[in-house]
Amino acid sequence: MKSTPHHAAWFFFLMVLPVILIVSFLVVYPTIKGVVMSFQNYTVFTFWRVRFVGLKNYVEIFTDSDFPSVLLNTLIWIAGSVTLQLILGFILALLLWRPFKGRGIYAGFVFYPWALSGFAIGLVWSWLLNGTFGIVNDVLKKLHLIKENIHFLSDPNYAMLSVILINIWYGIPFFAIMILAALQSIPKEVMESAMIDGAGPVRRLFSIVIPYIKPTLLSSVLLRIIWVMNFPDIIYGTTRGGPAGSTNILPVYMINIVFYETNFSKASAVGVIIIAILLVYTLFYLKLTSYGEMEF
Amino acid sequence: MIIEPVFKFSFFLFKKRSMEHKKLESTIFPEVQIQNCIIYTSSLSLEVSSMRKAFLIVLVVSLVTLSFSVTLNMIQVFTSPERTKILETIIKKFEEKHPGVKINLISPPYETAYQKIYTMVSTRQPLDIVEVGDWSLSALASMGGLENLEKYIEKWEGKDYLIPGILEAARTYKNTAYLLPNAVYVKTLFYRTDVLEKYGIKEPPRTVFEMYGMARYLTRPEINQYGYTFRGKGFPTAFIDLIVTSFFDDIDPNNMYLTKDGKIIWEDPRAKLGLELYVRLYKDTAPKDSINWGFDEQVNAFASGITPLLYQDPDTLGLLKNSLAPEKFATAPLPVGPSGKAYPTFGFAGWGIVSYSKHKDLAWKFIEFFNSPEINAYWCKEYGALPVDKRVYEMDPYFSSEKFYGWKYMFDHPETYQFTAYPLWNERWSEWNQFQQDTMQKVLLGKMTVDEVLKKWAEFWREAGIK
Repeated sequence: MKSTPHHAAWFFFLMVLPVILIVSFLVVYPTIKGVVMSFQNYTVFTFWRVRFVGLKNYVEIFTDSDFPSVLLNTLIWIAGSVTLQLILGFILALLLWRPFKGRGIYAGFVFYPWALSGFAIGLVWSWLLNGTFGIVNDVLKKLHLIKENIHFLSDPNYAMLSVILINIWYGIPFFAIMILAALQSIPKEVMESAMIDGAGPVRRLFSIVIPYIKPTLLSSVLLRIIWVMNFPDIIYGTTRGGPAGSTNILPVYMINIVFYETNFSKASAVGVIIIAILLVYTLFYLKLTSYGEMEF
Repeated sequence: MIIEPVFKFSFFLFKKRSMEHKKLESTIFPEVQIQNCIIYTSSLSLEVSSMRKAFLIVLVVSLVTLSFSVTLNMIQVFTSPERTKILETIIKKFEEKHPGVKINLISPPYETAYQKIYTMVSTRQPLDIVEVGDWSLSALASMGGLENLEKYIEKWEGKDYLIPGILEAARTYKNTAYLLPNAVYVKTLFYRTDVLEKYGIKEPPRTVFEMYGMARYLTRPEINQYGYTFRGKGFPTAFIDLIVTSFFDDIDPNNMYLTKDGKIIWEDPRAKLGLELYVRLYKDTAPKDSINWGFDEQVNAFASGITPLLYQDPDTLGLLKNSLAPEKFATAPLPVGPSGKAYPTFGFAGWGIVSYSKHKDLAWKFIEFFNSPEINAYWCKEYGALPVDKRVYEMDPYFSSEKFYGWKYMFDHPETYQFTAYPLWNERWSEWNQFQQDTMQKVLLGKMTVDEVLKKWAEFWREAGIK
């Protein structure tokens, strides 16, 4: 029997139906539910008398005197973390590009932090950087680099810098892995002919390497910014947004609303704000980088 | 665990019987042996069918056995590895006394425990016994999550031996007992005798000013020596309030944030004096890092001698047992303020039964067992708490030892140590803890003044409807 286009369409639909159902259950439903909840008064104490409250939760968030500093902290957190992760990850990938003895073992150590839980990393670093008992202060003192302990996580001047440094330590392997994979796809002949033509390392980097791996770089930066923005683990494990809100970023702000105010609706409203910011950012980023017109 | 031996036994019986049957057949009828070979394949199918029968029998037996075994789900709040071990020992003892009963202990991390419990109870997740503290009682009871225990308590012989005031404390919400407290928590002053002696100090401080002076004298940052064990995060409410209210002499015995004439304490000039001293304690006598200290860091700093003066609950005794020699520390009554008084609160915790539990009577049996004098003594001694059963104090000399001097003195001097209560029934209580912590940190870091923060705190409680 000859299959008609109508039958083919049904067949394809049936094939993708499981995926549609799974995605709907795991992504679409929670998103819609979250948006709906953000307009309700869904708290632990009102589970049985939930009602719509209009924009009340949004008004509370936007009129919160801490909210502007939360936004600024989020921006600093993303910019500081991703920029340095990218630069250092790039350097690391370049170092690992050329084969050398023990490269596999070395790469294993370098990529290790990426395999750890962000929250566990936060807890470990919170003791390492502890201003009273921390080993980092002890080492710096023994090396005569400091005279008095530095309060890495309790001094607002150092707290954000400290959590960003922890995040950089954690996130470098991601860029290193991605960039290394892209570097390995550059044809050797292209590099060799550039060398024969007399192109130096800097010229080769900017004229061949970077243009070649540009799609990887752009997609990695896009993804990483989204992940870092949604990554409260390290901050929650170290400072919980403190001291005095100096490391309070949007997802930490959201978690604290759930934990301390037990207000799921207000937290959902923060979640919707995060989605909106990321949506605007992604569209702007893709437009700016002409990502859709790129050849892969 | 129960199914496995039953299954093995049934299978053994089945195998033995079929072998005996075949042996008998071949002895009586030799031709059966040949026939057996011929019909070997079909006998296999017969065996499968017999096995199926046996399996069904086993299944039925197992189901019947299972129907007699009950699992109670129980969740704790103040989780720590040591506490979990002690609880598991008690659970084991209970299970031994009640064959067929299993208790599944859920131990969420302390800082997220309240949230987890609220969510589990609100969404009616399988739970029977829940740890209820004074801080979570009203929230859980107001959402209809707790069973009224009055009918059980009335019939319980142990009620006559409870220390005075404890049942009244358990009846904070609508004058109904929704939990049976098993331990009392009151803050007292822990001090390091060895560190104080090293600096020529023989007596612990009696007043908050003496404490400030002593702590300041001890503070030498160049050798990592400080005086006061400050608490910057993880519910620092009690630490702030104990200092501030010591400047008052008219705190409402039923509400720590009101004076006896019904005024919010944060609007009173005495609160400013108290809070200024609290800020000085941080700035002059505590490590700067302590703005980020919670319970663990506090106990760690005290045990290592960095900060030899600590306000804490009796559960600290349980932790110090493993980290500090007993002769190196002692307890003293809380230093009083200029009013000559201090206003501690009577913290308590115990077990409650969730209102939708299917095994309420069994859950009560566990609670009753937990509050028996022997178990209560074991629990309070190992974990570090003040027992709720009067008999325990007579039974075990440990609870009248000198380590309990601080609490004993406070209980014996009610005119000086006037117990009060937090407005825990207020729905914004948990929000208050976070708000007070964050705004206090701003004051400590100079981002907000004492006057500004007091104004904010007063506004918070006015809006929350404290009066």
